[in-house]
Amino acid sequence: MKKYLILCLLLSPVVFSSLLGTAEDVRFDQPALITSAGQAAEVHLANVLFKRAGLTATLNKTAEAADLEGHKTLILVLGVSLKGLGAAGIDAGHEKKRVESLLLAADEQSIPILCLHLGGEARRGDLSDQMIKTCLPHAAAVLVVKDGNKDGLFTAICRNHNIPLIEVEKTVYALEPLKNYFRQDRRP
Amino acid sequence: MNRHTILKAANALLLAGVLSVTWFAGRAFHRMHVNDPIYPAPGLTEKILLSRYHSALRSGPADTEIYLFSGKEKGGRLLVLGGTHPNEPAGFLAAVLMVENLQVEKGDVWIIPRANRSGFTHNDPQEASPQRFVLTTAKGDRSFRFGSRLTNPVHQWPDPILHINPAGQVLSGSDSRNLNRAYPGKKEGVLTERTAFAIMELIRTEGIDLALDLHEAAPEYPVINAMVFHENSAELAAVALMDLQLQNMDFRLEESPPSLRGLSHREWGDHSEAASILLESANVSHGRLKGKTSASLIVEGRDKNYVRAAARGLLFVPFDEAGIPLKERVARHLAAVRSLTAGLGDMHPDREIILHRFPSPELVREKGAEACLAPPNQR
Repeated sequence: MKKYLILCLLLSPVVFSSLLGTAEDVRFDQPALITSAGQAAEVHLANVLFKRAGLTATLNKTAEAADLEGHKTLILVLGVSLKGLGAAGIDAGHEKKRVESLLLAADEQSIPILCLHLGGEARRGDLSDQMIKTCLPHAAAVLVVKDGNKDGLFTAICRNHNIPLIEVEKTVYALEPLKNYFRQDRRP
Repeated sequence: MNRHTILKAANALLLAGVLSVTWFAGRAFHRMHVNDPIYPAPGLTEKILLSRYHSALRSGPADTEIYLFSGKEKGGRLLVLGGTHPNEPAGFLAAVLMVENLQVEKGDVWIIPRANRSGFTHNDPQEASPQRFVLTTAKGDRSFRFGSRLTNPVHQWPDPILHINPAGQVLSGSDSRNLNRAYPGKKEGVLTERTAFAIMELIRTEGIDLALDLHEAAPEYPVINAMVFHENSAELAAVALMDLQLQNMDFRLEESPPSLRGLSHREWGDHSEAASILLESANVSHGRLKGKTSASLIVEGRDKNYVRAAARGLLFVPFDEAGIPLKERVARHLAAVRSLTAGLGDMHPDREIILHRFPSPELVREKGAEACLAPPNQR
């Protein structure tokens, strides 16, 4: 397994591409707050990616506005899972309200938002698409696994709002773009 | 010849016909209660019966074989279950392939190919399922039972109208015979609950680190090509998923809802220290849209109705004329077992498990499970 991960680290710079905006100019600061927008399990993938990238982040799947305190970036992992909503003990309406209040709080506190969609085509559908349309306009940058953007939904929204969009072939290739997105943590 | 003699001869012929049909049907019925042979690899350390962990099962229809492979070095402890639902053959066959090939260098591996042994002795009523499917190895055919999702009512009867499972969830009566609704089991419960209790005891007694339950489901079911994980194994599932992506095996992650009680991915994790994960592959013979349920449908996984359903966006997996054959489904299970085991060792070096002669998912995907099955009639 280690050899696969080393291989992916070597390959990742050549397989991702910045499609829109100027991804090079967007930089985020640590620590980040990782939360789900839809309770899909990909939030755990994001957490593993951040750990492997050596980035400081807190995972809170059901973070509220108050949890933003002490964080410099909000990571929203997009995708609705009914099983995940059940696991969190909430319904889709409650989740939408939570995410909207989080978006509002982040905007008010000028905390930049990085949106990730890591579940590919399997994590699309009516509920997920509604969540994507709600969150994306607030994002400072978007990273998406390519086959989740087959129909160009992410491309269209990002183009309309001039948001840099990065597509990666597979989740594992998101590691290097994530590293590049974050400034080095200079805290002692 | 008078009319009376003709009638007597006709009656005799009819009686002979009925007797022969009864004899053949009885023989077929009896054969359903005989285990298909599994030929363990030379690396087998011990064959155990489940009743070791709950004596009430001894010599009964649920007393299934457990194959233990132990390495020279101490390491992690893995449990793999196939056949929780005996009409989900990819999980059963992946477990059989492991038993017939494996050699363990470090750590311990327990494999139960027929977790619900009773379920292998019958079919689901009104489904017109075949009793068997056949895989052709280089040295002959291997025939396998295609069983039922549930324990045989001959072994556990009658079903209640409603069933409250050991975890307190109210279910339909027939689910009292569903092993994957019966965890953590009941020592003095009905047969299926006692089976679940014995498996739970195995997990606790042997200090299992990673417990995997291999399943299949219909392509129109949302939790498909999926890894359903207990929250105690979220990071392991995420690490393994990324490893699988690099092998061109796409899985979706699903977290086990705490409110869905009685399932392996929930109760194993709640009632033991084991990282608990359930794997699902896509099997058209389970679906409601399928045509004739045949052995070929099980093995080849092709169905024109599903091609049409996919075109209308009704499925949760890609599906075309090539179908989703058994070899693909078994390969997915094997690859996931391999990646999860490797991930466990990466995250916890003291729980490393080194497997040799692991049945190659790549080979199975290309040439079928036949390529890794032992030849028939081996002693």
